[in-house]
Amino acid sequence: MTVITTKKPFEEILSVLKDVKKIGLVSCGSCAAMCQTGGTEGAKEMAEKLEKEGFEVIVTIVPEEVCDNRLMMKDFRQIDEDLKNIDAILTLSCGLGVASIVKALERKYPLIPVFIGTNTEFMGMTERIGRFYMHCRGCGDCLLNETGGICPITTCAKSLMNGPCGGMVNGKCEVGNYEKDCGWVLIYNRLKALGRLDLFSKLRDPVNWSESGHQREVVWR
Amino acid sequence: MVEKKIYSKLGEKLANGDFILTGELEPEKTCDLSHTIQEAKEMAPYVVAANVTDSPLGIVTINSMAASHIIQKEAGLEVIWQLTVRDVNKLGIAGMIMGGHALGLRNVLSLTGDHPALGDMPESKPVFDLDSATLVRLVKEMVDKGTINGHEIEHPPTLHVGAAANPNADPMEAEILKIGRKAQAGCEFIQTQVVYDLDRTIEFLSEIKKYNVPVLLGIFPMKSYGIAKGFDTFVPGVDVPKDILAKWKNIKTEFKDDKKEQKRVYDQANYEFFKPFISELKRKGLLAGVHCMAVHYPRIFPKLMEVIQA
Repeated sequence: MTVITTKKPFEEILSVLKDVKKIGLVSCGSCAAMCQTGGTEGAKEMAEKLEKEGFEVIVTIVPEEVCDNRLMMKDFRQIDEDLKNIDAILTLSCGLGVASIVKALERKYPLIPVFIGTNTEFMGMTERIGRFYMHCRGCGDCLLNETGGICPITTCAKSLMNGPCGGMVNGKCEVGNYEKDCGWVLIYNRLKALGRLDLFSKLRDPVNWSESGHQREVVWR
Repeated sequence: MVEKKIYSKLGEKLANGDFILTGELEPEKTCDLSHTIQEAKEMAPYVVAANVTDSPLGIVTINSMAASHIIQKEAGLEVIWQLTVRDVNKLGIAGMIMGGHALGLRNVLSLTGDHPALGDMPESKPVFDLDSATLVRLVKEMVDKGTINGHEIEHPPTLHVGAAANPNADPMEAEILKIGRKAQAGCEFIQTQVVYDLDRTIEFLSEIKKYNVPVLLGIFPMKSYGIAKGFDTFVPGVDVPKDILAKWKNIKTEFKDDKKEQKRVYDQANYEFFKPFISELKRKGLLAGVHCMAVHYPRIFPKLMEVIQA
């Protein structure tokens, strides 16, 4: 699994850095590297662009995984002197990276602002580099065993539990000018091929938002 | 067998097995419903009830519950309140069902609703907390059990709930099984998408007959060539037959200097197309009636009455 990121427009990044001079760059060596938004190359490209605009890039690190808070704490210990000299951190990672960096800095440097240079798109399946697809929204109550392995929450534009809706024409979805497949037709085709249309015929309950509609945590030790 | 409770004229006619006609009203982006009320008055002598649409194509219009109430009150025509699950969550919809009842509405049509991305506020959050089948189930729980999520309602609502079906859907089997879910949820009547293909309609209606839900067939009499052509071009998944388009084009050309006669010929052409179509389905016992979706064409209703009474 990869958290898929795309680059924010550089002008947008400049606008949030308007009161900043000295920058620490954190560029994720994992998912963002695969998406070519972070990693060593992404960091190099961003540092060059920032320096061209007159910023000082005091330090650049490429942690193995920014979202792993343990790794971030370890990496920050090695650049402690640099952290004293920066106005802000710019991270080239997914949104989790910001939370992980802030947490890693909270005891010693709680006031260093952390900005992000990417947009987090989704957790995705990698077909090949440059082709990433969403197949799961992480709703916390997986239906895939009943829908032939195809997620209606993700593939149906309306996330319906009992599709297809009237917006389906010849197996295509009304959203996006009938170019994308209707998720519920994909489910129907798959279940039919598997001889499990009994599952398709089932009336399904709405999503239980009391479980999944808030910030979640998994804590088992 | 449990005796079926009747809450509306529509419910009564369907229970009696009368072959009925329903119409459609499409309030627009306005707070003044006088045009719609006028149209409702014109169709009132012919139809049992008329649908009041809920921001079709995701284009925002006056709220359908408010419009339904005003039309019913001002035009004296029973309405079938169209309610989509697009804009309001389950909690809000349960409140609306009680509100709709309190405002005198006795029929509700459960619809998914067109995605906001299609309309004029594409940045709106698509809600779809329920879907068209689970909305039917919610209404049935509220009406039949007098509860919401198991919690008692002091004075429960009494409405008949219907749903939509699309005989044009491809793959058809997926649509048929979906109607099965709606029937399982307690759907009391079905109104179909507009149809022009008789063989396909017969196949579809024969398949869903097993669910034992009365079906009102969606038809769209075409007021002019422009409307027929527009419908063919802009309504995805519904094709107006080529010979019909050609015939309507001829009428447009042939009677261009006599608008009165042109209107009469268009009306007659609709009659000639729909009469055998509906008679055949009626003869096969596949229909409980007809739902005319042609808005702004109330003068066709006397002709349609002849069709359904044939």
